[in-house]
Amino acid sequence: MKAGSIPASQSATGRAAPGLAARARRHFAVLFPPLLSAVIGLGLWEGVVRWLEMPSFVLPPPSSVVFVMIEYWGYLVSQLAWTVMAAAVGVLIGISLGIIAGAGIAMSGIIDRMLTPWLVIIHAIPKVVVAPLFLIWFGFGVQSEIFFVVTFTFFPVVVATITGLKSADPEVLLLVRSMGADRGQVLRKILFPSAMPTILSGVKLSVSLAPVGAVIGEFVASNQGLGHLLIRAVGDMDTALAFAAVTLFSIFGVLLWRAAEFVEGKLLPWHPSQRGDLASNRK
Amino acid sequence: MTEQTAHPSPAASGSATNGAIVLDQVGKTYGSGEGAVEAIRSISLTFAQGQSVAIVGPSGCGKSTLMRMIAGLDDLTAGSIRIGDRQVTGPVRDIGVVFQRDLLLDWRSVLDNVLLPAEIRGMDMAAASKRAMALLEELDVAGFAKHYPWQLSGGMRQRVAIARALLPSPHLMFLDEPFSALDAMTRDQMNVLLQQIQAAEHVTTLLITHSILEAVFVADRVLVMSGRPGAILDDITVDFPRPRKLELRETPAFTAIVGRIREQFVKTGDLVG
Repeated sequence: MKAGSIPASQSATGRAAPGLAARARRHFAVLFPPLLSAVIGLGLWEGVVRWLEMPSFVLPPPSSVVFVMIEYWGYLVSQLAWTVMAAAVGVLIGISLGIIAGAGIAMSGIIDRMLTPWLVIIHAIPKVVVAPLFLIWFGFGVQSEIFFVVTFTFFPVVVATITGLKSADPEVLLLVRSMGADRGQVLRKILFPSAMPTILSGVKLSVSLAPVGAVIGEFVASNQGLGHLLIRAVGDMDTALAFAAVTLFSIFGVLLWRAAEFVEGKLLPWHPSQRGDLASNRK
Repeated sequence: MTEQTAHPSPAASGSATNGAIVLDQVGKTYGSGEGAVEAIRSISLTFAQGQSVAIVGPSGCGKSTLMRMIAGLDDLTAGSIRIGDRQVTGPVRDIGVVFQRDLLLDWRSVLDNVLLPAEIRGMDMAAASKRAMALLEELDVAGFAKHYPWQLSGGMRQRVAIARALLPSPHLMFLDEPFSALDAMTRDQMNVLLQQIQAAEHVTTLLITHSILEAVFVADRVLVMSGRPGAILDDITVDFPRPRKLELRETPAFTAIVGRIREQFVKTGDLVG
């Protein structure tokens, strides 16, 4: 990994610049392979579509997807905003319910035995299949969509919360009990903090599932959002617009994942996964 | 297999003053009837306040059980335990415990780890912080107060655990094999530190260890325990002046005490002479 460090004397700007130049070179070395791969991939796509003279409604070339994206930018963004809003409301409800249910199950044997069978059964139902039922129960509109996001995002958090709360070090629990801690203190000061990494990994999974839940909800029960736009674009054979929506959606998904990782890093600076003291072992 | 030769404990009948710890005919039997296992047989002892006591004995001799019973974390099946004039019936709050694993909380800085007992007991946090810093200073880890446990070495982590145990100025500090996970040099260092802080804090200390050297170096009094059922084989007063230096371990007087203890274990067959 030392390939990027070239002697400072080669830099024309003298002593201060080598650091900067070397860093730029290193960034370039990291970014170059994926960029090159993207250019080749999109170039091939563009070339094959044009060479075979494929009709645009079957497979639009990347260039026309970009043009459509620019042309409909305002519309696309407003639909994305709708999806994001529904996903955000749903995921917040899902996470809150998940943590509450998980804590109840982990802390009480009675709640565990009463609630867990229900959760297992409900979780086993393929949620996409019952999506149309939501239309019947909650009607056409954003409430159905939000409910759908909740069912998508609830389970990863429940499971993570239960696992996290049950994995506290028994000797630590003995120690704080010898200090005279009551149940509430044990929960606040030991169980929740030590469960945090596990809970957050569940939350991260939920956050990445939320937009998917929202879009599926929009397929079925909404006249707004990227999901609805996608259905309509496909109905109109406007495949380029559908591609533009999908592209925007996946860019948003990547940004969301990055944001979740960033928040995780801020909340868990002490955790082995965040410390970075072993990062140099990675090639 | 073993005769009980423990010193008679005159204070056991109720003349205990301030913080003395009195064990009167304490016994512990697991299970009942045919399958009953007698872990500890009728131990009577008195620890004066401020005394530093070490218990040595083979694995499984009931050292940790004895300690847990004094801390009120385990029930006795015979006899009674008093701390000062209070009978031990449930967990005793007035005890600081240090285990073999330091059990520091990864998500708290060193200082916040030391402050944990203060938070749990609702102590005045400003005063507690001052005391925490003073303890860390005494234990020579004050420079790491803002660091997280993972940034510290094993010896430093265990010093933080000792500071945490001492923070509420407990009557009694229990150390259950606190240094057995450390390397030999760090362990020597910790022994010196422990007897320093024990003298400075004037806290009654009960150290459980496998190391005869450690016991004699750190303590005012060494109790030698036999294997199952646990009983006191020997009760030795160690009156070397403090502060003690590691060179002490080379002196004939020190070696004589170590030899006397080792002999006990050879006699019982716990140690091959």
